[in-house]
Amino acid sequence: MRNRADLVIYWGGNPAECHPRHFTKYALMPKGKHLPRGRKDRTMVLVDIRETKSVKAADIFLQIRPGRDFEVLTILRAIVKGQYVNPAMVAETGLTIEQLRDLVDRMKRARFGVMFFGMGLSMTRGKHMNSSAILTLAAELNAYTKFVAMPMRGHGNVTGADVIMRWTTGYPFGISFDRGYPRFNPGEFSTVDLLVRGDTDAALILGADPGATMPQPAIDHLARIPTIVLDPKVTHTSRLARVHITTAVTGISAPGTGYRMDEVPLPLRPALKSPYPTDEEVVRRIHELVRVKPDWLVHQPRTTQQVF
Amino acid sequence: MTTRRFILNPLRTAQQGQQINVGKETPEYQKIVNTLTMSAADMTSLGLAAGDSVRVWTEYGEAIFQCEAGKVPDGLLCVPYGPPTSRLMGGGTDGTGMPISKGWEVELEPVKVAG
Repeated sequence: MRNRADLVIYWGGNPAECHPRHFTKYALMPKGKHLPRGRKDRTMVLVDIRETKSVKAADIFLQIRPGRDFEVLTILRAIVKGQYVNPAMVAETGLTIEQLRDLVDRMKRARFGVMFFGMGLSMTRGKHMNSSAILTLAAELNAYTKFVAMPMRGHGNVTGADVIMRWTTGYPFGISFDRGYPRFNPGEFSTVDLLVRGDTDAALILGADPGATMPQPAIDHLARIPTIVLDPKVTHTSRLARVHITTAVTGISAPGTGYRMDEVPLPLRPALKSPYPTDEEVVRRIHELVRVKPDWLVHQPRTTQQVF
Repeated sequence: MTTRRFILNPLRTAQQGQQINVGKETPEYQKIVNTLTMSAADMTSLGLAAGDSVRVWTEYGEAIFQCEAGKVPDGLLCVPYGPPTSRLMGGGTDGTGMPISKGWEVELEPVKVAG
């Protein structure tokens, strides 16, 4: 996209604040092989429910009503295929039919279009159905031109966690090993669901702060069970944990690999030395001690869920 | 007290991202996750001034925020993710593994905080 994307659409995301290098390094400003004038050769469309700081970087801002993403995407798909669109449905989205037709026209005329979608699309009402709708729209636009869609991920290296789990188990998250082989079922084995149901009797948290982000019933369960946290800093989760092991900061005082949102691995070289062990070293030492421990569960049914 | 229904949109800000690396227990971080932004028209209609407290609740829980006016549409509230928003979030994921994290229907009323 750096070399080819002449139409860049951000949907339900605010990269100016949440991915501050995205405009300048990858999607908008760079001069590419087929876009010698950089920003001047690209059109940026921002779709959101409010006027964020990213609006300043946009050529076109489409402000839709909260919770109407699925409707807008479905109407766009209908216009792409030349089907009838009900004006009453369009009115409910907060946009006009002219705005939507103009967007479709730009999409079809683009040489390479890309849609980046954020949590404003994937975590609001409709969730995976919204994601499915934008991916379907991108797929259908390939009948006219080259078009792709890509999620704007959240915290650092969540892409890395997905990539590693996919390559080691075949699944990205929501995985149980309780039968000795990986099983995938979001809603059953995913972390929030297990904690809210109270199915887990211990938790090991690495590089995350669910105590500040998960629903309160999940946080309450983490406080009830023995929770072990590996984190360089004191967090809301470390405050409720039984054990907090301070570790070195990956990328600053510990080596590692970070994955870019397009799944390109980047080696991280530490600039500083830390008196604390790395996450990897702590987990390895725990694993070695567990391995030599007598198997006291050998004649009992296994009840422990390992989830990611 | 006047009670109004709003759509609450938890979000992230660059300032919050920076402050996470300073510390989540700092007064600056606490202020970020406890400050709720609404339109100036909504604040006026509720008789609120910047810094006034409001009680926000859903069917799952409630939290107290300090409010400020910002560039958001009428009827919409914005607040950075943090422990107060966790108290308002439902635990159900509809089989997806992720709870609905944005666009909650909430009730809001101004409150007077003692002291």
